[in-house]
Amino acid sequence: MSSFADPIVDGARRARPVRPRRAPVSRLGLILMAPALLLLTLFFFLPVALTGVFAFTDLSTSTGIGRGDYVVTPTLLRQLGDKGLSDTDAEAVARSSVTVDAAGLARARAAGVDDRFLDEIERRFMGRDYEAPAGFVRDLRGLRTAPRRPRDLKSAAALFETSVLNQRFATSQALAAQLEAMAPEIAPAVRARIVEASFTGARFTTENFRTLATQKETARLVGNTFLYVGATLSLFNVGLGLFLAVVLFYMPKGASSLFSTLWLLPRITPVVLYAVMWKWFTWEGGFLPILADQVGLPSFNYMKGSVVTAWATMITLNGFIGASFGLILFSGALRAIPLQQLWASEVDGASRWQQVRRIILPQMRWPILFVTAYQTLSLLSSYEQIWLTTNGGPGRTTSVWALEAFKTALSNYTGNLEYGMGAAMALVLVVVGLALSLIYLRLFKFSELVGRPKIEI
Amino acid sequence: MRLNLENFTKCFDGTPVIEGLNLTVEDGEMLALLGPSGCGKSTTLLSVCGIYRADGGRILFGGRDVSALPSQRRNVGVVFQNYALYPHLTVEENIAFPLTVQKPRPSAAEIARQVREIAELIHIDALLGRRPAQLSGGQQQRVALARALVRKPDVLLLDEPLANLDAKLRLEMRSEIRRIQLETGITAILVTHDQVEAMSMCDRVAIMDKGEILQIDSPTQMYRSPANRFVAGFLGNPPITFLEGRTGPEGRFSMEAGLTLPLPSHLRGMPSGRPIALGLRPEHFGHGGQGQATGRVTFVEPQGREMLFDVQAAPGVTLRSIQPTRDDVSIGDEVTWKVDADRMLAFDAEGRRL
Repeated sequence: MSSFADPIVDGARRARPVRPRRAPVSRLGLILMAPALLLLTLFFFLPVALTGVFAFTDLSTSTGIGRGDYVVTPTLLRQLGDKGLSDTDAEAVARSSVTVDAAGLARARAAGVDDRFLDEIERRFMGRDYEAPAGFVRDLRGLRTAPRRPRDLKSAAALFETSVLNQRFATSQALAAQLEAMAPEIAPAVRARIVEASFTGARFTTENFRTLATQKETARLVGNTFLYVGATLSLFNVGLGLFLAVVLFYMPKGASSLFSTLWLLPRITPVVLYAVMWKWFTWEGGFLPILADQVGLPSFNYMKGSVVTAWATMITLNGFIGASFGLILFSGALRAIPLQQLWASEVDGASRWQQVRRIILPQMRWPILFVTAYQTLSLLSSYEQIWLTTNGGPGRTTSVWALEAFKTALSNYTGNLEYGMGAAMALVLVVVGLALSLIYLRLFKFSELVGRPKIEI
Repeated sequence: MRLNLENFTKCFDGTPVIEGLNLTVEDGEMLALLGPSGCGKSTTLLSVCGIYRADGGRILFGGRDVSALPSQRRNVGVVFQNYALYPHLTVEENIAFPLTVQKPRPSAAEIARQVREIAELIHIDALLGRRPAQLSGGQQQRVALARALVRKPDVLLLDEPLANLDAKLRLEMRSEIRRIQLETGITAILVTHDQVEAMSMCDRVAIMDKGEILQIDSPTQMYRSPANRFVAGFLGNPPITFLEGRTGPEGRFSMEAGLTLPLPSHLRGMPSGRPIALGLRPEHFGHGGQGQATGRVTFVEPQGREMLFDVQAAPGVTLRSIQPTRDDVSIGDEVTWKVDADRMLAFDAEGRRL
């Protein structure tokens, strides 16, 4: 280090014009942070960015992730018909014609049609065009070398047919050219629409969001998500957590630490095991239904048997996991209240309930807000417990947004995984989460709460 | 209201920390419980207000046994060391709290009137809208005092109320608390480890050590005539100097190190050869008297109005003297100063006063 005490050095330094000092960048710090930054980029920023991109595509199992082709299928024509393509245009596109040319002959030869027959066709009909395959078949039947069986004759004739249908074209121009040749009467605008619609690859589109905004299912999903987050949060994560924390606070130390450990079990149990345990607990033949049966209450599969019990099961099993989080946080906050304050309130004449209500709870504002904010976000995006238990059932009555997004994109029975749609749903969740975070930070004056000074002691 | 502790016993985890303690605080009296940390003074206070339950004996408020009552029903006011104000309530709400939890709850106007009354008494009527975090230590203390008094309690308990204040505020609050206690005429117990606080604020002082009350007396009497060596050593700043030695012939006292002094006159008839300890307070050395001691000044501590001298009178024997500031003595000087032998305190081998 240079010596600050040296007056000569000091003087020399002062003589030079003062340059603003750069904030020192520690190379070691960067090196130490590099792994974390790398992981953050790989597993957070990148997925979020990709989700954002995918949300604006119609990427799905059927489009694949490679480059698409241009194919007009009968199904596509039917769909276009639904969207206003006229029948005559559709017929024109589906039209097939027969041309006797070198390419047709080559196709037939490759398919193993009798050479003498083909030679005769080449001699007699080379260069001829037929509007409909029927005429060509009639002509072929008159040939001496024609096959005896009508089916062989027909399949041989089919090899000379050309049609736009079911042919793969690498580019839109190729398909457009072929369409123009086959059905010149179709208006160019209509043709462009057909070409456009025939693309099999993924396309950029805002269709996902339009669908989400208009379909009826959305409202129910949103309602379910609200009910799930709201009920779990208020009844368990905050309600039960606070209740337990206060009760344990007044219990002898040994008992209170035993109970807090017990309440931690749902959180530390592996999630699959936890879900299986709940199944045993609530399924027909499980603990609860058997117990209910003994007492004479309705006994059935509570997890999936009725909407009400399915909701109760789902909220309870999620709530038990979340309650321990609140319990720990609230217990810590309770212990931070100086003991003398509680003594003072007792001496002042406050009963237990008045002590809790008037002294303890008002001072729990900040931890309650924190748990609410934090758990809203984590409940909004959590679906694994629901997936493993009710799986949104019965029907889709207990499905929530995150579960539906997961199923749409990654796991459903039909096998058509709509990555684009799923990404759009996930993106909505990300945006809602960010908005909520901002609202929480603003509304509850987070910085003020964090920075609030304690009583001067 | 007169307060009695009869055979009061308190145990923690089965170990008695206070056993068979008897104490009476007269109506309107302010009594200090003075002692070193861990002597049981705070335990006694917390038992009086009901936060701790007595394990034996009785606690009487004006003849009424309250030992079995929870703290909510004892009608005591307590000021804690850290004031224990409720941080989420304003000063006004803090003071009103004991009234608002009463059943039946007084009317809002009645509560406001009483809060204002006590706030005026304690000079915090300008602070009612603030929160505790916006108050200085002294102001917080006043609020705590107001909250303790608003319910007109039978007994006021103060647990080290001045310990968290700076020196100047401590001086101010000392007289304030005493003024308020006198004005309200409330029976009060002050728990403190600070002898100056105890002596300056209270009618009587009870010195405690290891769960026992060693002496209860007025401050002056206790200083002048301590019952035992612990009390003598605890009171007085700078502290008393103890000299261990034996009685000698002709009413003299001699130490093995070589220092000899005359015994206090009432002990001159003692047979020689008895082991005793003499306590010499700094103000009784260097201010006249029959005895004298010679030694070298080893340390001088100027305190402004006074000066404190350490004088080595014999190897290993340092006498302390406090005198009005003087410039003619400095470290290394040899001095011969008078010892006021009659005002020395004598203790036997067990520490009892002779």
